[in-house]
Amino acid sequence: MDPILTVSNVGKKYRRYHPDRPATIQEAMAKGALGWRKMKSVEEFWSLSGITFSVGAGRTVGIVGANGSGKSTLLRLIGGVGRPDTGRIEVGGRIGGLLDLTAGFHHDLTGRENAMLAGILNGLSRKQVLERMDAIVSFAEVEDAIDSPVRTYSSGMQMRLAFSVTVHTDPEILLIDEVLAVGDMAFKRKCLDRIAKFKAEGCSILLVSHVGTTVEDMCDDAIWLDSGRLMAHGLVGDVVEQYTAHMNDNPSRVRRQ
Amino acid sequence: MKSETLEVPIRVVSSTKVGARIHTLDLLRELIERDIKLRYRGSLLGILWTLLNPLAELLVLIFVFGLVLRVNIPNYPAYLFTGLIVYGWFQTSVNFATGSIVGNRELVRRPGVPAAILPVVTVASNLVHFVLSLPILVGLLILSDIPFTTALLALPFLIALEFVLILGFAYPVAMIHVWFRDTQHVLRIALQLLFYMTPVFYEASSVPGRVQWFYQLNPMAQMIGAYRAVLLGGELPSPSSVLYLTVISGTLLAVGLAWFRKASHRFPDEL
Repeated sequence: MDPILTVSNVGKKYRRYHPDRPATIQEAMAKGALGWRKMKSVEEFWSLSGITFSVGAGRTVGIVGANGSGKSTLLRLIGGVGRPDTGRIEVGGRIGGLLDLTAGFHHDLTGRENAMLAGILNGLSRKQVLERMDAIVSFAEVEDAIDSPVRTYSSGMQMRLAFSVTVHTDPEILLIDEVLAVGDMAFKRKCLDRIAKFKAEGCSILLVSHVGTTVEDMCDDAIWLDSGRLMAHGLVGDVVEQYTAHMNDNPSRVRRQ
Repeated sequence: MKSETLEVPIRVVSSTKVGARIHTLDLLRELIERDIKLRYRGSLLGILWTLLNPLAELLVLIFVFGLVLRVNIPNYPAYLFTGLIVYGWFQTSVNFATGSIVGNRELVRRPGVPAAILPVVTVASNLVHFVLSLPILVGLLILSDIPFTTALLALPFLIALEFVLILGFAYPVAMIHVWFRDTQHVLRIALQLLFYMTPVFYEASSVPGRVQWFYQLNPMAQMIGAYRAVLLGGELPSPSSVLYLTVISGTLLAVGLAWFRKASHRFPDEL
């Protein structure tokens, strides 16, 4: 079967700058030539390097790894935020991404206005979003608040609306960061049921997983990242076993955030 | 797995279904609406501010230059208002465009948003304001008994040309502001200075000969001159100034956009 997502030799470089790096034209001028020299990064590190894997259509892949291992960076790159410094990412379908708790909502706009924009950004037309708006609102259970500014929403309500928009945009690849960490149990259950339905419909899913959670149960495969490197990729049971063993051997390792 | 060949980074998105890509026009429309809504949300008069601003400026300048200093320009209100709205669109757009990347952090860091659309949104939403003030201009033209001629057909072309010119400025300043956060302050001063050095409330011909070269090179002076020829003079703008504006606008936009594109993949990391 053809993979729907191919990640080949992907690397992402982050730059650390001089603490005195000028942040304004005024500072740069005041410091003269010295200031301009400090614009250059003093240190670079690879938050991801040499990542190669592919995801077959309909597979659900959990990404495990410690904080700062590059899980979110990887999801962002696949979602098209930023660009890898090496390698390439080939995507063969519509991506629905839930990468940020705030989902990019603007606090002064209403839930409806934000949902419209989010729907378009997920690849729908205005007309399609309008047709689906009722379904989006009722799934998110925010009927009473949909025409109020999002700043009046609780974080759970924002997450519900964001999740609801994403699942109503027919994604063929669903990217989910740790968003399922918020929201009450009932809604979490509803989200997981919805994700399971996507899975049954043949959607490919990539999610940041936590060992020993319900999320882990629904993955077919898993990827283990450590300090930006791919340590293992395979069936979820095998990878989690290796990962757990590794964590038990190195319990107090301090990781770069 | 860890081969060290460095390939050119490309992101290939091949759509397997129709509609798998973003509907750019819908996105543009939604972002422009949002821009306008946000600017006036919570303000009592809402979009009326768009009209009050140039009107207030018009009255002040008519008082100073029409009544106190007695500038000798025929149809001064219409002359002045043309300059005010043409320069106003440029000034407001460039000012707002500076913050269009930094101020939209949450959009730039989301999947699906092409950063290059954001300066376009700013210029376009200010175009809406520009168009909304045209009825006032029409009123002034009628009051001054200026005939409507077929030269007015050139107006859409001038608007398109000014759009390109503004965008040519908008891309570089929006990008520079990502790295230098006082760009907006520097620009505000520069644009205010340029306002006085552009023949908005006076005639380019009354400028002394030794600074004429600046007025010849200043694209906004040429732009306002072209609008005035069409609106007040009932004639087509001079071919040389249209040619100059086309070359300048096209070059600025091409260079600005190329530069912006090159830097834009670093925006999510810098914000």
